[in-house]
Amino acid sequence: MSVLALELGVALAGVAELLRRATVQVQVGARGEGSGVLWRTDGLVLTNAHVAPADRARVRLSDGRVFEARLVARDPECDLAALLLPPGEYPVAERGDAAALRPGELILAFGHPLGVPNALSLGVVHRVLRDDAGAPRWIQADLRLAPGNSGGPLADVSGRVLGLNTLVAGGLGYAVPVPVISRFLERAGPPASGRRAA
Amino acid sequence: MTASPSGQPSLLAGLSRDLAATVEQVGRSVVAIHGRRRIPSSGVVWRPGAVVAASHTISRDEDLTVTLASGRTTPATLAGRDPTTDLAVLRLEDAAVPPVERGDEADLQVGRLVLALGRPGNQLTASLGLVSAVGGEWRTWQGGKVDRFVRLDLSIYDGFSGGPLVEVGGRVLGINTSGLSRAVALALPVSTVERVTDQLLTAGRVRRGFLGLAAQPVQLPDPLRSRLGLTGRIGLVIVNLESGGPAEQGGLLLGDIIVTLDGHEVGDPGDLLAALGPERVGQPAAVQLVRGGELRTVTVTVGERPARRGR
Repeated sequence: MSVLALELGVALAGVAELLRRATVQVQVGARGEGSGVLWRTDGLVLTNAHVAPADRARVRLSDGRVFEARLVARDPECDLAALLLPPGEYPVAERGDAAALRPGELILAFGHPLGVPNALSLGVVHRVLRDDAGAPRWIQADLRLAPGNSGGPLADVSGRVLGLNTLVAGGLGYAVPVPVISRFLERAGPPASGRRAA
Repeated sequence: MTASPSGQPSLLAGLSRDLAATVEQVGRSVVAIHGRRRIPSSGVVWRPGAVVAASHTISRDEDLTVTLASGRTTPATLAGRDPTTDLAVLRLEDAAVPPVERGDEADLQVGRLVLALGRPGNQLTASLGLVSAVGGEWRTWQGGKVDRFVRLDLSIYDGFSGGPLVEVGGRVLGINTSGLSRAVALALPVSTVERVTDQLLTAGRVRRGFLGLAAQPVQLPDPLRSRLGLTGRIGLVIVNLESGGPAEQGGLLLGDIIVTLDGHEVGDPGDLLAALGPERVGQPAAVQLVRGGELRTVTVTVGERPARRGR
């Protein structure tokens, strides 16, 4: 067994652990579970709008704690939703630079595909689709995703979150990149004000 | 420098950078071909001024343009196509685009980490996978000869066909195609691409021998075999003869059972195809057959398979 391959395996396990801590399970009513990402230490959770269609959602953290979370913003257009956990101090993942991604770079997805908790997928950047101004609109990923990955993190090899896995089309994973998420949060305003989505 | 969770410089980050650098380097020779109605297909600058592509992705023979890595779009002409190996070659006016660096047979190993690149538009695309299986020479369902069987363990996306298979060091191992198998991703190895490219650039087509018959395998009864001294158990019964074709002109009849061609036993229609390479065109072939319970040998002059319009 080559030392290099062993080291690679260990390194992947390390990234998986970073992502596991920052990934949550999101459940609304009797619907199947989706995934979410702890975005801020105060308990702001990002997920897809199609994962969180109601005012409230049940959020299970990686340490097993389950909270009732409140929907604070939702935009079906960009398929994003923000949930707020009860006041506390929560672990978050670092953010990476989606704009600088190049085809062929290794990427990882973490989530709960088809109800399997804490599943890791490895792949590469297929390409980054950009808007007219050159800002990333979608990260197309050559990796295996399934329902339940929705809302979970797509990350670089250092565990920095690049976007939220949102849909699968033509076999490719599509993730909403961080800059689109940041604009969504700006539009939504400060969640601490208790604003509620309509 | 990024750091892994343990604070060590990350092996993964290094690998990731290497992969992206390889994609970028080889991607300079990957072009988009505008030759069908849907999204553009991929092609590879194989030699200066010559682009190799997958024949089935180019639906017209004229009015072709190519978008280079620089973003510039330039006219191209079809040098020729060989639907039997699903390869096509285009001539570019611009000979300045660097051709890819080709790997050799030794690089075709099961387990090799490989990238499939494409350019279905302006942007380059990449997929990562493995060489899944490597075998010997095989024939495609249209009868084309491929020197090595190369099965890939990677996902097929739009733009896959006609793009290069690249080992992670940046050398090209073949041309990818989804046109030769329904189920899996295959690559045509460098030697096959070279051979077909040579023929298409010099002759505009790949010549193939042609008999003008259709045949089905039949079991030869044991008494017949022992009486005629035949070693093979299977023969090929002629079920169709093209009017005016080489076989008919040579005197073959419907119902004749072919047992050998030039002394080689034929037990499968593929054996006939295999014996009809480009070098056989115009040459006599000795067809040994059973007719009315008797063995006889008929000489047929091998013709050239007529060009078929198609992809």
